[in-house]
Amino acid sequence: MVAVSTKLPTEEDILRPINTLTKKYFILYGIAALALLAFLVGWAYQLQKGLIVTGLGDWGSGGGSTWGLYIGAFIWWVGVAHGGIILSAAVRLLGMDRYMPIARLAEMTTIGGLSAAGFYILVHMGRPDRMVTSVLGHYHITVNNSPLVWDVTVITAYFVLSATYLGLTLRYDVSRLRDDLPDMFEPVYKLMTIGYTEKEDEVIDRMVWWLAAAVIIMAPLLLHGGVIPWLFALLPAMPAWSGGIQGPMFLSIALMSAISGVMIISYAFRRAYDWEHIITDDIFRGLLLWLGFFTLLFLWFQLQSVLNGVFMGPLASQHAAEAKMAHPAYQVAMTLMFGTLVFIFLQGIRPALFSKKRALLASGIILTGTLTEKILFVVEGFLHPTFDIYAATPGTYFPSLIEWLSLAGTAGLVALLFLNLSKLVPVVELHAVEHMRGEHGHDEDDEHATEPEVKA
Amino acid sequence: MSTDDESFHPLGQEWEGELENMLDDTEYDTDLGMQMAQDAMRVTKGELSEAEFHEMYHDDVMEEFGEDQRPTQEAFEAAQEEAKGTVSRMLSAFDGDGEESRRDVMKKMGVGAATVGMGAFGSTIDGKPSLAGEGEGHGGSHSQAEQNEDLQWGMTIDLERCDGCLSCMEACASENDLDQGVNWMYVMAFEDELTSGGSPAPDNIVGGTSDHNMLVRPCQHCTDAPCEKVCPTTARHTRDKDGLVLTDYDVCIGCRYCQVACPYGVNYFQWDEPDVAHEDINGHDGAEVDDPEEITHAEYENGTERWVDSRSPRGTMSKCTMCPSMQDGRQGEERVGTTACERACPPDAIQFGNVKDERSDASQHGEHPSKSRAIIEISGDVPDPETIDAQLSEGDDLEAVLGNEELDLNAEVVSIMKAVQIVSEEEGLEPGDEENNTILEGQVTIVESVTALEEYVDLESEAALTELQLGDGEASDANARLREFAGNPSSKFKLLEDIGTHPNITYIGQEPGPEAEQVEGPSEYSDISYERSDGSEVDLVDKRQEILDEGTVGDVGWSL
Repeated sequence: MVAVSTKLPTEEDILRPINTLTKKYFILYGIAALALLAFLVGWAYQLQKGLIVTGLGDWGSGGGSTWGLYIGAFIWWVGVAHGGIILSAAVRLLGMDRYMPIARLAEMTTIGGLSAAGFYILVHMGRPDRMVTSVLGHYHITVNNSPLVWDVTVITAYFVLSATYLGLTLRYDVSRLRDDLPDMFEPVYKLMTIGYTEKEDEVIDRMVWWLAAAVIIMAPLLLHGGVIPWLFALLPAMPAWSGGIQGPMFLSIALMSAISGVMIISYAFRRAYDWEHIITDDIFRGLLLWLGFFTLLFLWFQLQSVLNGVFMGPLASQHAAEAKMAHPAYQVAMTLMFGTLVFIFLQGIRPALFSKKRALLASGIILTGTLTEKILFVVEGFLHPTFDIYAATPGTYFPSLIEWLSLAGTAGLVALLFLNLSKLVPVVELHAVEHMRGEHGHDEDDEHATEPEVKA
Repeated sequence: MSTDDESFHPLGQEWEGELENMLDDTEYDTDLGMQMAQDAMRVTKGELSEAEFHEMYHDDVMEEFGEDQRPTQEAFEAAQEEAKGTVSRMLSAFDGDGEESRRDVMKKMGVGAATVGMGAFGSTIDGKPSLAGEGEGHGGSHSQAEQNEDLQWGMTIDLERCDGCLSCMEACASENDLDQGVNWMYVMAFEDELTSGGSPAPDNIVGGTSDHNMLVRPCQHCTDAPCEKVCPTTARHTRDKDGLVLTDYDVCIGCRYCQVACPYGVNYFQWDEPDVAHEDINGHDGAEVDDPEEITHAEYENGTERWVDSRSPRGTMSKCTMCPSMQDGRQGEERVGTTACERACPPDAIQFGNVKDERSDASQHGEHPSKSRAIIEISGDVPDPETIDAQLSEGDDLEAVLGNEELDLNAEVVSIMKAVQIVSEEEGLEPGDEENNTILEGQVTIVESVTALEEYVDLESEAALTELQLGDGEASDANARLREFAGNPSSKFKLLEDIGTHPNITYIGQEPGPEAEQVEGPSEYSDISYERSDGSEVDLVDKRQEILDEGTVGDVGWSL
């Protein structure tokens, strides 16, 4: 079942989401809005009653877990976001033209992921009302020591970076497709293309290249390979979190989650708008291989960290590693991810084993696996601290209904973002379409233009 | 830009005025500072050589600050001499260019000197006289660098005297109107594979339990507190004037990172509305105060007040505060240098005080545990000098003293009294009157009584020393006698000292090892109840999670 697409993509194709309005769209919109609304109600209740409505508690004599699903999901969403922007940057920087049609989806995933993560910061706080006065008011002092402040800084920086990135590349598309875009949003388009002239294309190209370069360089230093794991790994007395391996580990999880997320979103758009010839099978095969590669790295890092604990580690690390290995949720998550890796490996050898449905399933499994691992990772720290004398430690924790609902709510939030954006701007770049047709709107070498790159 | 005003400073008159005001606020000479700064600018412009500049002010700086760590001309020349071998050889390779480079080098040095000069004034503004290289250098952050060097509240806790009665937990919870399960002070018994049973002090010492190892766990008020380091708001901070690690309840956003980062697990979050309403907080022992702020707020160096004491409001973090309202004197002078838990401890296992002052209870008990225990132990049995004068007459001997029913002394108490006197002469410390240095005060009382006794009886005769088991009456004999009486503690330690938090609680007794595990102690937590300001009386709770689970929406009873 090798899908051969001979059809060339057109402007109408990428405008289709904007110019159609189907029943399915409304149903999906309703579900996403309902999920978000349900959580907002839950959050309102939490604001009224306090964080006691969660399953959290005080580690130590109290026998609880200080952080739980909220923080686990927070770092998971940040991972999705960071992975998304890395994916998109790699496409631009390394010339991975094959993935051009999904680059913008990856950028939008980043915006969505960062929005969800930012929302989690508020949800997680005991006094969200003080966010501005307490955090910004003392920023010049706290940025020197607090990894949490580094975190907020980096998330903000990446939000700005990704939004700029997305905004700049959209100018090209919107200015060219303006006539076919709905008049309803005219002011928005005007604002987006303010001062646009064709002369800027070249400049924007270079700017985007540098933005992409910044993303790629900063990824291991500041994104999921740095600041986010440092939130945990730098603390002195929580052996389940410590170790330099957490940087690479977090980065691999971020990329796994982002690739999976982008695959699911791509699948949905392809199915909804008949984009077989734009988001080709080839893209899914390629993404699946990359997913396999990062899953392999992730499992390797897990092995490193666990083995470092169980093979004659210091007592505290040993207890933490043994407890981690013995945890049923950990075992299930690792088995699922290992199984997926085996499938990806096999379909690499035997292409007939590939199908988009299976790729979709693999993505779902990886996302579930990484989310489980993240939440577990957060809780494990409190279960096996160095100062493990308390009878109440390891304590107990199970997310409350409201915490579970937050997952649905943030997923709904991200879905709504896609549903809204897809009615406003093309989610596939005009560049990608031009590229697939073998045209080049601007400043590409002529020799490229003469070679059709459409893969058959 | 600033050429038309008369300022020497490139940023102009206004900036110069500001600098001048800053200098005025210090105890140091403003005119000298401004003059030096002006000349430092001249150095940068090349009008004055760096060596001349140093020479010019050397005497003034010595007079003002008592030291001058800037390189003087001699030092400068010595350095030049030393560098000559290498630098001049390198420079000669450039021939004609050499002179040019050298001039550049000198210019740069001038700029450097000016920077040092201004830096020196920077540090005097911070209230420190030295020019550079000050500080202990254990990687402290900005706030720690400005901390009061003379005062750091802390505790020495004698675990061998703790009998696990939980009075301290009760007193703390009552003093601070804590919710159930919020155990700022937490006392636990533990077992360790390494030790079989408890390590109590000898039987003649009050307290201790032979069946259990005890651990008393307030906040450690670390000098390098991880909780403070990670706080995204500065709500968790160290009070500069006395080193207490506190939480500003008006600033805390409830992210709980402090609880995550604390290696000791001393933080308790206010997950819901606290049991005792703010307006009901009325202080301790029923002492009504009109305004809860009087005991919930503490004073700061700069005259401000921050809400840091008593139970925290909803959505913020709380932990043991070491009673700042007591340290600030708001609960009366007699409570300065004490805490609720210390006052409540029947065997005086908790010794609170200024750990930087060797006269404090915390230092005394930590440094001389046997003597300190002995003083605590016999204080109640020692007759005052007036009674001694009244009861004894010229020519009485030790037999007569011990036989006197009014004095009610036995040979052991006299022996310890004499031992304390011998040892105290060796140390020669006075209690001072700024804090509650009860151990040294007890020592003074004992020494006075011994002196009164010796008016009538020779306690230093060979026969007396033998009877009192004091050997030759040397300090070493006296110390041995004190150890024999009060026990020689198995060890002294700080919790998790190897992770670099520099805690300010010192423990005496059995240190819990990595495999130590809490076991049921001599008293049940639920048997102890405490009264709060609003009149409510509730039991102590060990596992707070059981209470918190009641508020969880959709609690299924499972656990990850």
